[in-house]
Amino acid sequence: MVTANPIAEATVPTEALEPPWRFNLFARWPWLKRLVRMRSFQFLVILPNLFMFYLFIISALFGTPVGNRNIIIVFVWILWWFMLIAVLVPFGSRIWCTICPLPFFGDWIQRRAVIRVRTGKSPGTENSFFGLHKRWPKRLSNIWLQNFGFLFLATFSALLVTRPIVSAAVFGILFLVATVLALVFRLRTFCNYVCPISGFLSLYAMTATVELRSVDKDECLKCKSKACIRGSDKGWACPWNVYMGKLDRNNYCGLCFECVKSCPNDNISLFVRPFATSDVVVRGYDEVWKACIMLVLALTYSVMLLGPWGRFKDWANVSEARNWAGFGLFAAGQALLALVIFPGLYYVSIRLAKWYARADSVPTKELFLKYAYMLVPMGLLAWIAFSVPLLMVNGAYIISVASDPLGWGMNLFGTADFPWTPLRPHWVPFLQVPILLTGLYYGLRGLHKVGRRIFTDPAQLHRSLVPPAALLVGVTLVFLKLFIG
Amino acid sequence: MKPKRISNYLLVGLLLLVGGLVGFLSVHWHLATPHERTFTITARKYAYDPAILRVNRGDRVRIRLLASDVTHGFYLEGYDLDARARPEDTTFWLRRPSAGNKYQPVEEISFIANRPGKFRYRCSQTCGYMHPFMQGELIVSPNYLYFTSVGLSVGLAVGMLLIFRRLPGGDRP
Repeated sequence: MVTANPIAEATVPTEALEPPWRFNLFARWPWLKRLVRMRSFQFLVILPNLFMFYLFIISALFGTPVGNRNIIIVFVWILWWFMLIAVLVPFGSRIWCTICPLPFFGDWIQRRAVIRVRTGKSPGTENSFFGLHKRWPKRLSNIWLQNFGFLFLATFSALLVTRPIVSAAVFGILFLVATVLALVFRLRTFCNYVCPISGFLSLYAMTATVELRSVDKDECLKCKSKACIRGSDKGWACPWNVYMGKLDRNNYCGLCFECVKSCPNDNISLFVRPFATSDVVVRGYDEVWKACIMLVLALTYSVMLLGPWGRFKDWANVSEARNWAGFGLFAAGQALLALVIFPGLYYVSIRLAKWYARADSVPTKELFLKYAYMLVPMGLLAWIAFSVPLLMVNGAYIISVASDPLGWGMNLFGTADFPWTPLRPHWVPFLQVPILLTGLYYGLRGLHKVGRRIFTDPAQLHRSLVPPAALLVGVTLVFLKLFIG
Repeated sequence: MKPKRISNYLLVGLLLLVGGLVGFLSVHWHLATPHERTFTITARKYAYDPAILRVNRGDRVRIRLLASDVTHGFYLEGYDLDARARPEDTTFWLRRPSAGNKYQPVEEISFIANRPGKFRYRCSQTCGYMHPFMQGELIVSPNYLYFTSVGLSVGLAVGMLLIFRRLPGGDRP
């Protein structure tokens, strides 16, 4: 019996919106399809990343402890972070998961192969997996662990993004956990339910301009083999446990392309689609809280890292300032804001929406879940606005560190002495404003799209939009105040 | 169908324009006469005191820079100034980054705040773990960009809500 990923399984195609247009990339560029169908494809794209990962860990252990002179800090928290949030997620969905090195050894051990496919009868699949192959507990089959994990890491972000050894420790632990979980649990349990990075990628991948989908869903319903989720001699069972016949959101598709290899009907393709238009269904409180947590963290990071207030930096920088009371206040305040205050404000806006629209027949839960989509594009764009100055102001470190990755005085490419030169930092506000306005635009647009699926009466629909829209404007104004006010 | 679509875009455009204009004009009518402003900024790991300098456009700004713990920098974006101060040393050094010249000893930093808006001053001398995030703010009024952006945000939201009113209602199955 096919048992799909409970998170992905909950996606009911009829609730999703078809994109107004989508463009079949595999039909246009057959070479791309040939490329991803190569059995060695994922190994080849992970390999350079694995090498970089190894270099980063070495650099953290043996290189300079000065963050802006060490490749792990500069390349991960300036270059990678910016690329991830501003380029890879909006334009590539979860393409980072395609090349992520963290689950590599877990996959290798489970499959006892790097490239080839093993057929067999591991439960629920047509492949042979090594390990205990246990089911992940159902009550943990959501993204709550990822929510709390990311919030926990964010509490230590001042240490994480400035201390090479802390970054290496976190990546090392994640690497270890991914490998151990792969031995005990089936498929990519770590990526689906534990990885804190995966949590926010799943949320913001909803806005992405690409999607991996069935070309014809009816073909999937007629398909007897369900090779996409069960695997075959051509490809492994979907590591994310997703059945393509029901997949209608990007959230839990890690773009490994195994289904493209295994589909006997050649019915799966990569599509280009408009930004933040079709995956507008937020389902589950875990996803709503993820949206709230991410938006609040963009705010607290902007205050703590980009703000002028030394007190907050001292509180967050606990290992140096030793202000444990301040750190406690910071940690508690951030958690309170992310888990209670902001979700509470959002809840109030939903209650107001219901009252103003006189929509007694619409369950509050339905409005609360569905209108939360407005926070997704807003949150993504707020993170991009936050990340722009990181790259423009501190991007020069990338050039110097490339020549001296460990801070040992090497000069590999002759750029080790490249001075810290901010790139047009006074232009940053002029970039942040349109980015935030874009977030507001797509947030409001999403709100209306979702509202149209809930209300049949136009008057009720329009009234229900006003309070959440006011909240979204309020969020935009807070970010504007922080960035340029 | 098409003309209606265009008129919707026009409506949002108009409200954006009105919102932005209202925001812009709300500060434009409150221009202050220029004064001389003197600040002594103390830099410490990883903050400046004062953290925020508020001046008006046209003000002559004079800054003395002190470092209380280690050597710190003062890179003022938008004004092409980069200073360096050492602890227990009242003299500090200044250079123009765009000219690529070397630091020269000076008694004070002096410039006319002729560009309105928010400008960060950042530490330009690696001073510790949190160095890349050590910064303060120079806010030169009238902050046109901020108030215009506030107007644009409100205008955009109002415009879109009005458009939504003109669109047909829900399509729930």
